[in-house]
Amino acid sequence: MRPPTGRDTNSRSPDYDHLAPLFHEMAALTDTDPRRAVLREKLVTEHLPVAQHIARRFSNRGEPHEDLVQVATLGLINAVDRFQPDRGVDFLSFAVPTIMGEVRRHFRDTGWAVRVPRRLKELHLSINAAIGELSQRLGRAPTPSELAGHLGISQEEVFEGLEATNAYRSASLDDMLVADDDSVSLGDAIGEVDTELAQVEYRETLKPLLARLPERERTVLVLRFFGNMTQTQIAERIGVSQMHVSRLLARTLAQLREELRDATG
Amino acid sequence: MSSAHHVEGADEAESRREAHRGPDRASRVDLRIEARPGQLSVVRAVAADLAMHQDFDLDAISDLRLAVDEACAELIGLATGDSGLHCRFEVRPQEIRMAAEVLSADSRAPRQDSFGWRVLAALVDHVRATTAPAAADPGGHLVRIELVKRRTREVDG
Repeated sequence: MRPPTGRDTNSRSPDYDHLAPLFHEMAALTDTDPRRAVLREKLVTEHLPVAQHIARRFSNRGEPHEDLVQVATLGLINAVDRFQPDRGVDFLSFAVPTIMGEVRRHFRDTGWAVRVPRRLKELHLSINAAIGELSQRLGRAPTPSELAGHLGISQEEVFEGLEATNAYRSASLDDMLVADDDSVSLGDAIGEVDTELAQVEYRETLKPLLARLPERERTVLVLRFFGNMTQTQIAERIGVSQMHVSRLLARTLAQLREELRDATG
Repeated sequence: MSSAHHVEGADEAESRREAHRGPDRASRVDLRIEARPGQLSVVRAVAADLAMHQDFDLDAISDLRLAVDEACAELIGLATGDSGLHCRFEVRPQEIRMAAEVLSADSRAPRQDSFGWRVLAALVDHVRATTAPAAADPGGHLVRIELVKRRTREVDG
């Protein structure tokens, strides 16, 4: 824990000192007071350079700069809303970590978790496309050597590209690559579950957890573990990539594991 | 896009892989990690890497990775305080075996009617759990999960 002295020259700038009294002013107003909204907007607008500065610091990591500015601005708005001026901490000491946290969360949720070079991302994309093509042709998932042969690259490069997938924790890229597939009918597999679950312990605990999953996650899980389909077959059925199915399963299983543990002790 | 490809790298990779595969011998990887959920990523990464280098198809690579994750998470849940998780991989041309073990305070084996077990059974070709009394010091029970993932899934029947 860093003591809230405000001595940190990186996060403190005289440019913003004149705004400090406004926080006190805002804190004194009730939530419904129209002057509060005016102050809030002014504080956000005046501090925008802070958000922009932080967004720039993350701008070489492959996320569009405008997105980062937007996320950082969201962090700034949260900081303005949550800041308590009577705590003896100056606003920037509070806002900078809040904004950074928001940007980091953005990377964690929707982007590459660690910095991945552009070459690897492109490799990832071309491998992803090749997986789709080869799966169609072979009627099963391809192997790394088949991918290497198809793309005319070395197996080491395929390994590298597949490993890059692990750095890419979310499915947002896949989401962008496929059309909005909410229209795909996912419902018909769900009926099988009830009979299958009859043999599973804690089914009364499990059922509501399954019911609460987003439809796509639930469908993937059901098709894999109750429908005995391979990831590649599921990918084709619901119109996403095999890698996407793999990630959805990993995420959903980890989540269910945690929830089941919490629910059953 | 893939212009960075250079031939020496590929040749080196080829020879290394030949050496790695060997004739028919199993190669082993032993891992000892703290029995904490945060360590699961290490075991997952090793499992996926081994399957990848054995040229398993992508479904099998992902299934093995998920199965190892599930098995080790189950064991971590049973492990006593600061005991570790011992995880041994045996890589053969047609299959990868994993045996993971923890020291547990009670002799209870992972339940086989659980959702987690069902997941495990669906992901690999063979899985079983065993328990055995541990040595008198420190006492307790060794709980073990063994699984086998084959290169291509056998057609049932």
